[in-house]
Amino acid sequence: MKILIADDDAVSRRLLERTLVRAGYDVTPVADGRQAVARLTEPDGPRLALLDWMMPEIDGPGVCCEIRKRRDHNYVYMILLTSRESKEDVVAGLESGADDYLIKPFIADELKARLRTGERILHLEDRLVEAREQMRFKATHDHLTSLWNRGVIVDLLRRELIRSQRENVCTAIILGDVDHFKNINDTYGHLVGDQVLREIARRLLLAVRSYDFVGRYGGEEFLTVLNNCRPDSALPRAEEIRKAICVRPVHTDAGPLSVSMSLGVLLSRDWGQRPPEELINEVDAALYSAKAEGRNRVKLAKPAERAEPVTAAQALAERLR
Amino acid sequence: MTNKTNPLCPSRINFSELLARVENDRELLSDLLSIFKKEFPAYVKSLREAVVRNNVDEVASVSHTLKGMLSNLAAAGASASVARLEQLARQGEIALLHDALLAFERDVDGLLPELETHIAGARP
Repeated sequence: MKILIADDDAVSRRLLERTLVRAGYDVTPVADGRQAVARLTEPDGPRLALLDWMMPEIDGPGVCCEIRKRRDHNYVYMILLTSRESKEDVVAGLESGADDYLIKPFIADELKARLRTGERILHLEDRLVEAREQMRFKATHDHLTSLWNRGVIVDLLRRELIRSQRENVCTAIILGDVDHFKNINDTYGHLVGDQVLREIARRLLLAVRSYDFVGRYGGEEFLTVLNNCRPDSALPRAEEIRKAICVRPVHTDAGPLSVSMSLGVLLSRDWGQRPPEELINEVDAALYSAKAEGRNRVKLAKPAERAEPVTAAQALAERLR
Repeated sequence: MTNKTNPLCPSRINFSELLARVENDRELLSDLLSIFKKEFPAYVKSLREAVVRNNVDEVASVSHTLKGMLSNLAAAGASASVARLEQLARQGEIALLHDALLAFERDVDGLLPELETHIAGARP
């Protein structure tokens, strides 16, 4: 484990360095507080620190304050190691943000035991951060495909529409639906259906740029948001996505299955300032048309060409057919 | 400072404590001695100059560093006398600094050769 030693006394620094290297630490020694702050705030910098109180540039408590101000960094466990031994100093040192306080001259075994305490706390912090990240992931991603879930993908679309209005660029919205997915589920079972959905999610992600957004909108519906998309390239890109889905069978426990997807495409600049939910309804209608025209195809949603409104019941019936 | 260790004087260094502090690492002990020999005279010089100038902040700062250095080397007497200098400086007791400095200089007199002797004797 990496550890920083900050002490202006070269004897103390050398003694600490050797003691800690022998104990298996990867030691970074520095001679003043400014260097200590710089090293501790480096990416992948030490997360354990032994700080002398009186140092040039910034003293030990000053280093603690600086580090505690930076909440975007990993937690750093800091021990003040000083010959200031009054109760007032101990209190002031701990109040500055230090986790522990040791009086010089140190006893090697005690120092190592306290560092192990620090390591335990850092380990605990790592586990908490990991658990929080897992919860954050679960709250924002679809559990089956690991794509963005419906709430997040619609929110991302909302933000992207605002941005495209502000920057006068175009966002393409693509709603895709797996053709005859009900048949797959009915014939091979839900586990095979899940395998198909996972593979389609993977193919969708491979077919878009890293900064585009892909989410699972419903059962077998996927919503893709192409940021800053040139209007003339939206349809070709939707075609690429369609081909990426049907290019080869999906390998499942029931054997290879041919799959395809129908897609509706909408260009935000054709529709003015409309809420995402309305635009999704429009692109859903284009998707319905793609289904009605034989599936495995792409249809562009055009405002003027909407002759008759498509009801939700009609769209559902077409998809289930 | 004299260059000889007086065998009749009590030791300025608790050598068994020092060995425990370095976990019986003789090589480290030699390293520490080298660093001490290089750094210590400059600190003492700074301390004297700060006392002459009645610069209490500087006296407190240098005394504090010397206190840590000497305590790491298990030189308890010298560490205590420089701790007194630090305390006096923090309290602004300018009139007492000179005598405290003399006391400190007496305590460190012969410290370096004694360390060298011990370390030479401790080499495997």
